[in-house]
Amino acid sequence: MSILIINALVNGILLGGVLALLAFGMNLIFGVVKVIHMAYGQCVMLGMYVIYTLTELSHVPFLAACGVAVVVMAIWGALLQTLVINRLLSANRLNQLLALAGLIIVFENLAHVIWGADLRGVRIQMPLLSIGNVFLRTSNLIAFIGALIALAGLYFFLHKTYTGLAIRSVAQDVECSKLMGINPKTIYLITLSVGGGLTGVIAAFFSPIYSVHPQFGGSFTMMAFIIVVLGGMGNLLGGFVGAFIIGIVTSLSAVLTSTEIAEILVMTLFIVVVLMRPQGLFGIRQSR
Amino acid sequence: MKYAVLVALAIIVAFFPFVAGNEYILHITTLIFIWAFVTTAWSYMGRFGLVSLGHGAFLGVGGYTAGLLFNSIGLTPWAGMLLGGLLAALLALMVGYGCFRFGVIGDYFALLTLALGEVVALLLVAFRDETGGSLGFTLNRIDSSFLYLQFERKIYFYYIALCFLILALILWKWIDRTKMQKALRAIGEDEIAAATLGIRIVRYKLYITMISAFVTAVGGVLYAQYITYLNPHTLAGVGPSLDIAFKAILGGMFSLWGPTVGAALIVTLEEYIRVTYGSQFIGVSQIVYGVALVMLIMFLPKGICGTAEDLWRKVTSR
Repeated sequence: MSILIINALVNGILLGGVLALLAFGMNLIFGVVKVIHMAYGQCVMLGMYVIYTLTELSHVPFLAACGVAVVVMAIWGALLQTLVINRLLSANRLNQLLALAGLIIVFENLAHVIWGADLRGVRIQMPLLSIGNVFLRTSNLIAFIGALIALAGLYFFLHKTYTGLAIRSVAQDVECSKLMGINPKTIYLITLSVGGGLTGVIAAFFSPIYSVHPQFGGSFTMMAFIIVVLGGMGNLLGGFVGAFIIGIVTSLSAVLTSTEIAEILVMTLFIVVVLMRPQGLFGIRQSR
Repeated sequence: MKYAVLVALAIIVAFFPFVAGNEYILHITTLIFIWAFVTTAWSYMGRFGLVSLGHGAFLGVGGYTAGLLFNSIGLTPWAGMLLGGLLAALLALMVGYGCFRFGVIGDYFALLTLALGEVVALLLVAFRDETGGSLGFTLNRIDSSFLYLQFERKIYFYYIALCFLILALILWKWIDRTKMQKALRAIGEDEIAAATLGIRIVRYKLYITMISAFVTAVGGVLYAQYITYLNPHTLAGVGPSLDIAFKAILGGMFSLWGPTVGAALIVTLEEYIRVTYGSQFIGVSQIVYGVALVMLIMFLPKGICGTAEDLWRKVTSR
């Protein structure tokens, strides 16, 4: 039993890495554009289909396919920004939320129409690593390390480049950043492209692990919400820690009970956190 | 003028089944009434800024309580309706008290209720021995019986759903005349200011949430009785919860007729697109529906009734 738990723990940490990336994207969009991207997991799903199409149907090498997926998803994010989110900036919160939720219907059925309802997977065999009695899937390990590298890259992008500085200043105060000569619309476009590209990156890490189907994104969108709220909305570091908590809780409770109970536990944890600490586990309470 | 329109409307809906002649059209209208009933219940609280994305939870609690009790011990759905409604109100009391006591509002309230709807759906799936899990279950069949809310012909259900909708609209009017409505309006505008005026924020918000939950659960029972099949993904979870909010926002949740108009529009749109394009390309109909939904929300942010009222005001003031 203890071996099972250690295994679950390790896999939870590995899952946490990728979830951190997912939460980072949603958090970035929330922090800068101030909208909750309800269809974020669905974008990852579309990215996975892009990779599937390229590798399995057009026989493009896997890595090249991943590169293409990142670019495609970045463009997809930019399109979303110009066509939908831009027009919703001055709308009230509920309209923003529901318009983006409406996109879930569009994306899922788009995938359904193009690729059908079957499970689609990329066929890549990767060895199983073992350290003592602990077994790791190489694909999970690669995803974990890749996610950390991607997060480090994003950190440098936000903190060491001029564009990153502009993004952070828009997140802090839109009006003031306008006075500094920053055009918020451009920054929003860049943010959504980065966030979109990120869904492509996540798709690349997920592809060897999971098979994709049209409803694949839903649970990950939910997971991303939970992590983002757990860490405090707009708090990037909090989201990072929250991702590992959720990753470990999910895989531990899935081993100890069942996957449904695991999901119920995670949701309940989420509800309790919102009630007790709406600023998130690591946020500073703001005056409301 | 206003009464003339109302009387004309009443005559039209009262005699509609005899004119329609077609069971299918009757079926759609009944569905519209049921969803209008649920959407109106949602808007009781939605219009005061309490935007819930988890009304599927109440729908599911109501429908499953009545359905399970009927199938196991043969309890009449009328009693099940009451019990389910009370259970849903209890759930609303528990969650609502937490939310309002700790000042959870806006986005956080929306996301929390979204999770609540999903928790109820997952619980219904997890207790699969009793509920049939993801496959759902069918209500035991009984011949036409008013006591058991099952009918061979759709026309009976048409009138029952219509009566319920009218009751929900009357309840809306009644809420408008109470002190609660004024308190909630003040809270919706500015909570802190309302609190300094001595308005009991938590209490009033709880009242309206419980009323809304109760009525929604009754709607869940009606829907389950009409379809005679219960499934966690059509009665609880993210899908139905968002659908209710879509209907309310499209119709305009601030006007009495808004939710009804929204429900009518969405149910009709869904059916129309499904019937016209559904058989040729599965899924394409849903894409068209989704795009239409997003466009309507983007370009008619106040909903149909809200926009119409604004136009009317503009015309009359000129």
